[in-house]
This record gives sequence, structure tokens and C-alpha cells, in this order.
Amino acid sequence: MPPKYSRRNFLQGCSYAIASMAGARLSNLAFSANNDTDTLVVVFLRGAWDSLNVVPPIDGDDRGLYEKARPNIKIPADALLRLNDQFGLHPALSPLYDLYQQGKMAVVHATGLNVDTRSHFDAQEFIELGTPGVKNTSTGWITRHLQSTPSGSTGLVPAVSTNGLPTALLNYTPTLSMNTPSDFSQWDNGTVVQQQEALRKMYGGNTLLEQVGRRTLDALDLVQPLVEQEYSPSNGAAYNDDDFGRQFKTVAQMIKLEQGLQVATVDFGGWDTHEYQNDGADGYMADLLSSLGNGLANFHLDLDSGYAERLSVVVVSEFGRRLVQNESNGTDHGHGSVMLALGGGVNGGQVFGPWPGLNNEQLYDHADLAVTTDFRQVLGELLSTRLGNPNLETVFPGFGGYNPLGIFRG
Amino acid sequence: MSQTLHRRDFLKLAGTLAAASLAASCAPNQPAPDPTSTLAPDSPTQVPPTFPPLEPPIASAPLAVIALNRMGFGLRPGDLEAFEALGSTDDERLRAYVSQQLNPDSVDDSEFESRYAAAGFETLHKSADELYADHIVSNPYDSNDDAYWEWYSKPAYELVEASFLRAVYSRKQLVEVLADFWHNHFNVYFWQDDAVPMLVSYNRDVLRAHMLGNFRQMLEAVAQHPSMLYYLNQNNSSDAGPNENYARELFELHTLGAENYLGVLDPNTIQKDANGIAIGYVDNDIYEAARCLTGWRVDDDLGDWEDGVEKTGRFLYYKPWHDRFNKLVLGKYIPADQPDMQDGRDVLDLLARHPGTARHIARKLARRLISDTPSEAVVQAAADVFLANVDAPDQLKRVVETILLSDDFRLTWGQKIKRPLEATVAMLRAVNAEFTRLPGAISWMTSLMGQQLFERRPPDGYPDTMEAWANSMSVLYRWNFAVGLVDNWLNDDDQQRPLQTDLRAQTPPEIRTPAALADFWILRLLGRPMSDENRQAVIDFVRQGYGADDEMSDDDLDYWGRSMATLILMSPDFSMR
Repeated sequence: MPPKYSRRNFLQGCSYAIASMAGARLSNLAFSANNDTDTLVVVFLRGAWDSLNVVPPIDGDDRGLYEKARPNIKIPADALLRLNDQFGLHPALSPLYDLYQQGKMAVVHATGLNVDTRSHFDAQEFIELGTPGVKNTSTGWITRHLQSTPSGSTGLVPAVSTNGLPTALLNYTPTLSMNTPSDFSQWDNGTVVQQQEALRKMYGGNTLLEQVGRRTLDALDLVQPLVEQEYSPSNGAAYNDDDFGRQFKTVAQMIKLEQGLQVATVDFGGWDTHEYQNDGADGYMADLLSSLGNGLANFHLDLDSGYAERLSVVVVSEFGRRLVQNESNGTDHGHGSVMLALGGGVNGGQVFGPWPGLNNEQLYDHADLAVTTDFRQVLGELLSTRLGNPNLETVFPGFGGYNPLGIFRG
Repeated sequence: MSQTLHRRDFLKLAGTLAAASLAASCAPNQPAPDPTSTLAPDSPTQVPPTFPPLEPPIASAPLAVIALNRMGFGLRPGDLEAFEALGSTDDERLRAYVSQQLNPDSVDDSEFESRYAAAGFETLHKSADELYADHIVSNPYDSNDDAYWEWYSKPAYELVEASFLRAVYSRKQLVEVLADFWHNHFNVYFWQDDAVPMLVSYNRDVLRAHMLGNFRQMLEAVAQHPSMLYYLNQNNSSDAGPNENYARELFELHTLGAENYLGVLDPNTIQKDANGIAIGYVDNDIYEAARCLTGWRVDDDLGDWEDGVEKTGRFLYYKPWHDRFNKLVLGKYIPADQPDMQDGRDVLDLLARHPGTARHIARKLARRLISDTPSEAVVQAAADVFLANVDAPDQLKRVVETILLSDDFRLTWGQKIKRPLEATVAMLRAVNAEFTRLPGAISWMTSLMGQQLFERRPPDGYPDTMEAWANSMSVLYRWNFAVGLVDNWLNDDDQQRPLQTDLRAQTPPEIRTPAALADFWILRLLGRPMSDENRQAVIDFVRQGYGADDEMSDDDLDYWGRSMATLILMSPDFSMR
């Protein structure tokens, strides 16, 4: 421990300070309750990923309808990784295909919102607030989960976000928002100890900004040890040097810190593919998928050293895209999407969710894949089976149709 | 005394209004069931849970501080005194300042102008045609060639620098606030393929040219500029399969706003106003508007393979791509075979004159210029002015003036935090930093705070409410920026980009005690006193064993005094506005 930290730690003598002096390992006593539940990682793909090219039909009538609607941008059937008799996985997600075959990943098709919108920003808010159709909710769904979960959220850092603060964590002031641990350090002009002491007083009130300021000071104590050592992933995991790699690596580090992390959010934009989205199995979207698959698979590998069994990852996007491609070899805004679930408690190797079909009369608004599984079905099941939170009415108020699909093991 | 009562009454009223508007927007708004959706709608009784409200922030500030922090990027030395000299009452001073800022040509900006001249930007004087010819046509794409990239991106990088230079040094502060507002409103992305050098023209010829002018004219200038045509894929939208990207954001972000989006409904079921115009929009309006706009593109045939297309980089109405048949937009019938561009112009007319657009623009401006939750009264007043002057050449100037002279503007404080770019510029101004060419570290620091100039990728612009910016990474890098700025760590002599701050030289020699030092720098950096507790924290920080009224040694004055000023920049007080 560098001397600049010791003085304050000594003076304060608080448990978190002792914890960080003790090499960032808290005793299991403090967080035993949380150890019974999974760490949740929510991956949000902003811009609406083209779910029909992520998990396209591989056979049957729907394959014909798919190919007819997307003459220039269909993924060739022989390039797809077969999920079952009906669907294939985009080949750029091959790192995840291994996990699917090992039963660690499941696919939920035709997911989304039960309200009508093709607006990115409305749809993202509806999902992240957890209140479809209502935009002025003052907290995100993850906020309400952490505030209502019976085991509490008493850890020093119950939530981490690695790309700004997402709406799902709206008004959850304990969130540690951090690009990477090495970025998360306070510049020292020689008086940082005294500055932090003064900042604690100045940020002593209860405005949003002041609460966040105090949490920032707490988090600095926690993360400081990570700044000073090079992180080496376990099991030979090799993250790409890109945004996906950075965010997943940061979350892995925070999980391994064992400070009671309950939820992490990672966030990737760039999925709004109105033009030139792909060239067969290659192209712009394939590159994005490849980065996503690589990041997720390495994340799982990295944590497959005692942590992966208590890990639940969900991948979600705000909606899907139009069945018919546009003239720019892209796709416009649609409706039904696809979610992925990954982790130790997933009934993997299966595609869940009733398939609505691609015939014109089966399409939503005669144009898009319909939604047959409300996104809250998936998240609700996850909350009650893996996160020990039965308070679905608090997390998703007004959602009455809860009916688990069996995606997760209890 | 009467001032206090007035303020309290006002706050009570504002609270009632806010509660009323919350209740109204909470009212169940059930969409019509869709025949193909297999999902049941939520129960109509849903009410989001509420949690105890956060403590209300700091109470008030002098009007000069309010004005300088909202109509500009905070105080530079001398600004308070200049504001006070504008009249003998608050009312006189505010009116004079608003009038001055809304008539920027009347402002003597020679200090900034000589600095701008000294910066010696090479590309910012170029016309749109010259930018396109020099940096795109004569600079063929070669992704592996550093010289290509440097020349291609040079105008946009120079624009970033010039924007910082203006925000820090120009006395036309409101112009800079509005340029930032309108870029975010009509957002385009710095690195948009095919368009990077044109950002200079977009900023100057579209946003700055119209932002105190007429909204309808601005809307068309945006719609026809290559930066927007490329960014939202309008450039390849043809009758064979219209690309809906631009049309959707035109409705949702640029004009009516998502609050007027009624969803996926039959357009014939939407209520009409007295003029037969739909009160809100549905998806079908977007499809029809996209058809109206087909053929609006850039004259960009760099490969010489399209008939009737050259490579000027200008807007081009390309008739072969236009969908000539009839359309229906917001309930208005648009006949087939109208004259060139008329279909698109009809759409822009409908949108620019719509009461929903007036309220959307009014609310966003008030949110920027006043607080995260401006009162309904000021929003409606500004919207009324918007509509009453819909054809006026100074429509937007009148709207902005309405907001700046409202009670909301002068009687509220501390309910908003400065966005990262705002806080960064405010610190540069407060410490009277000296630079001409911007060191690269500045932009990098703002990216770590979450807001890099012109680099918002989604079309909605950077968020403008405090929830988005009150997060640990963003707060930490505000603190780090203060440290780096005051200790000159951001200086970049290697690239001939010096950035220097000397706070000791700015401290009057007679100021030698911890209490005097704290009071001097609190007033100098904030323009107002701190709370007693925070002032005490500042004094306790700087005194280091001295009594509050003891004389400090020269070394301690320099070392602890400098760090104390840094601490004031790091305080929550500095971030509020």
C-alpha cells in the first residue's frame, strides 16, 4: 500500500478501508448472502441488432421467405452454425457456438416489447426502465432489483458500468462507472490525501452529485490496488484490443475482486445497420459480431476458474429489424429481436420462445418479426431463479403475465 | 424580503406544476392492440414505484453568476464587473446582457479575434465547395496512407480547436452555447464516412448561420447538407426502397419529438387539428415522408459512373430516384408529380409549423438554458413565440430571448450540473488559462468524462440531464482535469501547443492568510460564496497547521494555495449551475 493512502485509512478505520488495505479481499462474512446468487452481466447492443441475421432460419418455409426478403444480405445457409432443425447462428459468433454446444448458452427468439415503437430511444428506455410505454420512471430496472433484492446490496460496489451510466441503473448512486481500472485513478499533485479528505466533506450532502462524489472516493480506495498491477486473465483468455475486450476485461477484474459485485453493465453501439450491413457472412455487421463473440467467450473463459458457475449474462438489443432489406443493402427498424443467455445456470444448447413465423400475416404490422416473448419474461425468470429476487412486481411494475420459459435452472 | 417571498412562492408553484405534469404523463396511454402481436398489454394500473426524492440542491446565486453560467461557459476574470456595469438594477443588467448576447455583431471581440488569427488555422476559411474539392476530390481514399487521413480530417480537427478557442475566449458566449446546443439537436458524427471535412461547413453554414434565424430555413439547410445526408443515410434513399433513417429522426429528434410519436397506428385514426393536420405522428407518416424525400442526395459521383451527377459535394435533387406518386403525411395529401423538391419541402413545412415541434424545441432550449426540468410556463411561453413568429427571419432569436427573460431563468439555480465540455471550458475560463493551439490532452480528457466534442455517435446528441453525467468516471475526470490544468500537466510544448496557468501570479500580494486566500479564490472561481461548511473545508485544507488568520510563508502560499484553488474547481459548487 503506498504511503499516500495509509494515513487516511488509519484515520478512518472504516471497514472498506481495512478491506482495501487487506489486499482487496473482504471476509466472506460481509457478503455471504450475495455469494448465493449469480453476478448478472447485462450486455446492451444499441442501435437494434439485426436479429434475423444473427439467428436466421436455416431450413423450411421460413428459410425461403427469409431468402426472398433479403436477396443481397441473407446469410448463406451453409455458412450458418446449426442450432437446431430450424435455426442457425451467424458464423462470426463461432466462439459462442462452442458455449452453446456445451450447454452454457441459450437463445431466446422473437423477444422484445409489448408496446408499439420503432424508435431506438423510446425502445431503449422502455427496456432499461423496465416499464414499457412509460418513460418518466425515475429508476432503472436494475436499480429497482438492487433496491428490492432480499439479500440486500451491501457490498462496496454492487454495480459496475463500463461505458457511461446506462438508464437501467438510473438513480442508483452506488454504481461504479469506470472505463478500466487503470483509468480509474486520481491524479496526485502531492496533496491528494488532503484533497480527498476535503472532498469527503464538500460532497457530504445528499444531492445526486454529492452522493456520486462520495461513492467515487470509496471506489478509488477499492480500485487503487488494481491500478498498480498488470491484469493477467486466467486460462489463457486473450481479450481483443477493442471496446468489447476492454469492457469485458474490466468486468472480469471487478468480479475477481470479490467485493460483492452483483450487476455489471456493458454497452456497445453501432448496430443501426441501415446500409451495407453485410456481404454474405462477412462485412460490417460480421465484424461487430466477431468482436462481441470474442469478448464474451474470453470473458467466460477468464472466469472459468470458479466464477463462471455463478455468472449469468444476458445480451439484449432494443428491437429487431425489418424482414425485407432496403435498397441500400441494409435494414430499417423492426420489432421482434433475439436475446442470448449465457452462464452456469443456463439450460443451454436450446432455442427458446414460440416462433411466430415469417409469412406476411404472421409478421408484426405485415413487416417485422412479431414479439412472442416479452423481454421481462427472460429477465424476470433470471431474477427469480438466479438472483434470488422474487419481487418482480417491484422490478417490473404492471407486468402481469410472468410465465417462465425454463431458460434458467433454479 | 419581497424577493425571498417571491422566490418561495415561485418554487411552490413550480413544484405543483411539475407534479401536475408528471401525473398527466403517467396517465395510462394504451396503444391499440396489434393483430399480430401475441403479447398482452400491461395492466392499466401500473405506476412506477417512487423513491424518496434527493435533497434539493444549493439555493441561489447572484444574477450575474446565473447569467454567465447559463448564457455562457462561466466566469473569466473581469466578467462579473462587466456585468455589474451594465445597469443599476438586476433587471436592467440582465436585459442589457441578453440584448448584447443576442446581437453578437455588436460585441467587441477583438481579444478573441487576434488570438484566432494567431492560431493560424489552415482550412477553416474554406467554402463548402473548397472543402469538398480540396479534402475529398483531390485527396483520394487510401485507408493505409497517413497523409490521406491527416488531410481528410484536418478541417474537422481544426474546427474542434476553434470551438474550444471560441468557448474559452470569445465574448459572444451565447453564440457558443447555442452552437453547441444545435449541433447536439441536429447531431452528426465527426467520423461519418464521406463527410468528415464537411463538418466545418455544417457548423458554419448551417448551424451558426441559422441559429438566431428561422427554424424552417435551418431545417432545410440541415436536410440538404452533406454532413446530414450521409450521416442518416438519406444519400442513398431512392424510390426503389426508401431508406427511413433520416425521415424517422427528422420527426423524432429534429422536430416533433418522441413525445408526439403515437406508435404503429392506422394514420386514419389519428385526431386532426383545426387545419386538418394530425396532432401526432405514426410510423406510416415516416414511411410516407421518406418517400417524399427520395432523391435528396449529395452530388458525389467520385467514380464518374452516374449520369447527371457530378462531384461538387453540393446538395442534389436527383429526379431519377424520386418517388413521384401521391403520399399522405400527417393527414395532408401530397399529390403526385409535384415540382422538383416540393414533396420534401411540404414535409418540412408541415413539421416546422406544427405546435408539437414548437413545444419540443422550446422545451429542449429551456432545458439547456435553465434547468433539467423547466416549468411548463416557460416552455409554453417559448412555444407560443415560436409559433407566432414561424415565418419571421429572427424566430429563434425571439424564442431564446423569451427563455432568457423568463422568471424561471432568473429565479432558479443549482438544479443542473455542467456537462463535461461545459465544465472543462468553465475551468479553463475560471483560471484564466493561456493557450492558442489546443493541446491534445483536452479532448482526450473530455472523452474520459464521456463527452467528446462532435463525437456523439447516435443521432440524439449528448444527454442534457444530470443523471447522465453524475457518475463516478465523469466526476473523477473533472477532478483530474482540475489538477492537470492548475499544475500545467496538460501543457504540450513538444507539439508547440502550450497551455499555461499561473494562479500565484493572479493572487494579490496582500492575500496571505488561509481565510483570506480561501475567500479570494472562492469568489474569483465561483463568483459567489460557498456554504459555511464547504468554506471551512477549503480553509482547513489550505492552512496546514497555520491558524486561519496567520500569515503563510511564500512556499506554502504557492504550494497549498494552488492546490486549494484546484480543490474549489473540484467542488460540487463549481459543477452546479
